[in-house]
Amino acid sequence: MTWQRLDRRMLLVHPIKEIGRFLPVLIGVLVAGGASGAGPWSLLGVIVPVALGVVRYLTTTWRIAEGRVELRRGLLQRHTLSTSVDRVRTVDLTASPVHRLLGLATVVIGTGSVASDANERLELDALPSEQAAALRTDLLWSRAVAAAAAVDEDAPADSAAEEVLARFSARWLWYAPFSSAGLVAAGAAVGGALQLTEIVDIRLTEDALAAVAGAFVGLLLGAALLLAALLAVAGYLVTNGGFVLARQGAAWHVRRGLLTRRETSIDTARLAGISLGEPAALRIARGRRLAAIVTGLPGASARSAVLLPPAPTSTVVPAAVTILGSAGPVTGPLLRHGRTATVRRYSRAILAVLPVVLGLAAAALSASYWLLAAVPIVLGLAVLLAHDRARSLGHAFSEGHVVMRSGSVVRSRDALAAGHVIGWNLHDTWFQRRSGLVTVAATTAGGSGRVQVYDVTTAAALALAEAATPGLVGQFTDPDDPAPSPF
Amino acid sequence: MWHVEIGLQGIVTTAVLGLAAVMWAPEAARWWLVGAVACGSTAVVVVVPRWRYLVHRWEVSPTAVYTQRGWWARERRIAPMSRVQTVDYAQGPLARLFGLASVTVTTASAAGALRIDGLDRDVALALVDELTLKADLVEGDAT
Repeated sequence: MTWQRLDRRMLLVHPIKEIGRFLPVLIGVLVAGGASGAGPWSLLGVIVPVALGVVRYLTTTWRIAEGRVELRRGLLQRHTLSTSVDRVRTVDLTASPVHRLLGLATVVIGTGSVASDANERLELDALPSEQAAALRTDLLWSRAVAAAAAVDEDAPADSAAEEVLARFSARWLWYAPFSSAGLVAAGAAVGGALQLTEIVDIRLTEDALAAVAGAFVGLLLGAALLLAALLAVAGYLVTNGGFVLARQGAAWHVRRGLLTRRETSIDTARLAGISLGEPAALRIARGRRLAAIVTGLPGASARSAVLLPPAPTSTVVPAAVTILGSAGPVTGPLLRHGRTATVRRYSRAILAVLPVVLGLAAAALSASYWLLAAVPIVLGLAVLLAHDRARSLGHAFSEGHVVMRSGSVVRSRDALAAGHVIGWNLHDTWFQRRSGLVTVAATTAGGSGRVQVYDVTTAAALALAEAATPGLVGQFTDPDDPAPSPF
Repeated sequence: MWHVEIGLQGIVTTAVLGLAAVMWAPEAARWWLVGAVACGSTAVVVVVPRWRYLVHRWEVSPTAVYTQRGWWARERRIAPMSRVQTVDYAQGPLARLFGLASVTVTTASAAGALRIDGLDRDVALALVDELTLKADLVEGDAT
């Protein structure tokens, strides 16, 4: 295959982008030009960005040849990026509104390299949509299809069909305010409202209308919450509008975005596991979210590992079961961590709020006894949190997956395929050693690098590791002294 | 080495905290505070390195590497030989003074580097050779 240029329509897009970037300079030039009356100089402000766009188009070429993807760009500083097709792990298609208008899409090829430098990214900006989709098919299937064709002649025909797992519905919008982004928006709104009331309060007391203030504050808070919810819904709609999760051959496609359309494809062989997010707020609303633990996506671009945004449990759980190919890791029972772990959750929660309680008590003694009423509330919250955290703790080895669940406010249930477990980290503090507990983490190349759960009994942790990776951990445990010295 | 390292840290901490105490504490409590800080640092300097030495272990089997480190919080890490990506050998200025070295074994995971500190230089070099050879013998791309 010979060297190819990007799409000719980019001649339109690049100058627009460049003009956007040069806008401050442009305005300056126009103002200065208008003042001094130097006409030709102001034209320069338009010509330079356009010329830059043309140069970018002319100097960027790419090709796929001899099993390698190669990209050359730059006028003064030439860059040649080259990678083996075997190493391609993800292919993202992104289309901003301008791109969509012109029927273009940007292709970003992920190879699992940790380089986050923009210069090091294999990014083709942009190709015609059809060509981009075809390129993705080529890159992701060349290997998979070759493997499948050896076994089954029909495989290529099958893989061409897209099998939709989940599709956006208006009902999903209900879950937007319960997601973490919604909570952040709500927090910001409440903070803003409080600040506003402070300002308003001062004016009201000046006007000697303090009696009205109470109702007014309540109203303002309500309005702020409503606004936050609306903002969350709008944000959700913009990022997730038109969401589709589908399987096509050996890859999962995630398509989303109302204005900027993003299409992420994840090679099934690179899918190490899934993370089922069950934050407290979402659990109350009976929603769940789903993310993929993928090798080849650096932590920074974790967003593209989203498999499903906050959505009804009845949609998310079946999708997760389909993706993993078995129900055990998603819905199966987990081993509880026992009494000691529960006691630790309670003692930690109480210890954490102790300073608050003591402070409140001290304030109550010196100021007003009304503050004492807050003490049971704080303690009650701590106990609730501890109860939920203790209830959440669990782990299992189910149908070839290591499953771990922990947390309360941001609870998640992670399932990691045993084949993707790289190693084990066992972490224990002196207190944990005394009660025979250990924080166990299975390390992996994908996601955040590890999946972990705390306060497992040492024997259970070893059993889990032994089940997932037979013989790996066992060879280092001393049969005579299963629990090493407490130092 | 740890004794010296933490000893230096202890002296610096004592000096800084002592200075802070002299600057801000009330007149009467000043020297008591300095004394308390010095005592605390001395205790840490004496106890921690020994504790750490007792905890630290490492072992290499034909199929995996195992390390144990820390003192108050202990971390045990296990990585199979097939997932080893690089083997690093490093010597800090203090370590060179004592003829020691550290070996770091990294895997594809962001959370999985295994580090063995304070090895005798020759032992460390031999270990690096051994690990490199073993990791080389195993098939696969280590992810």
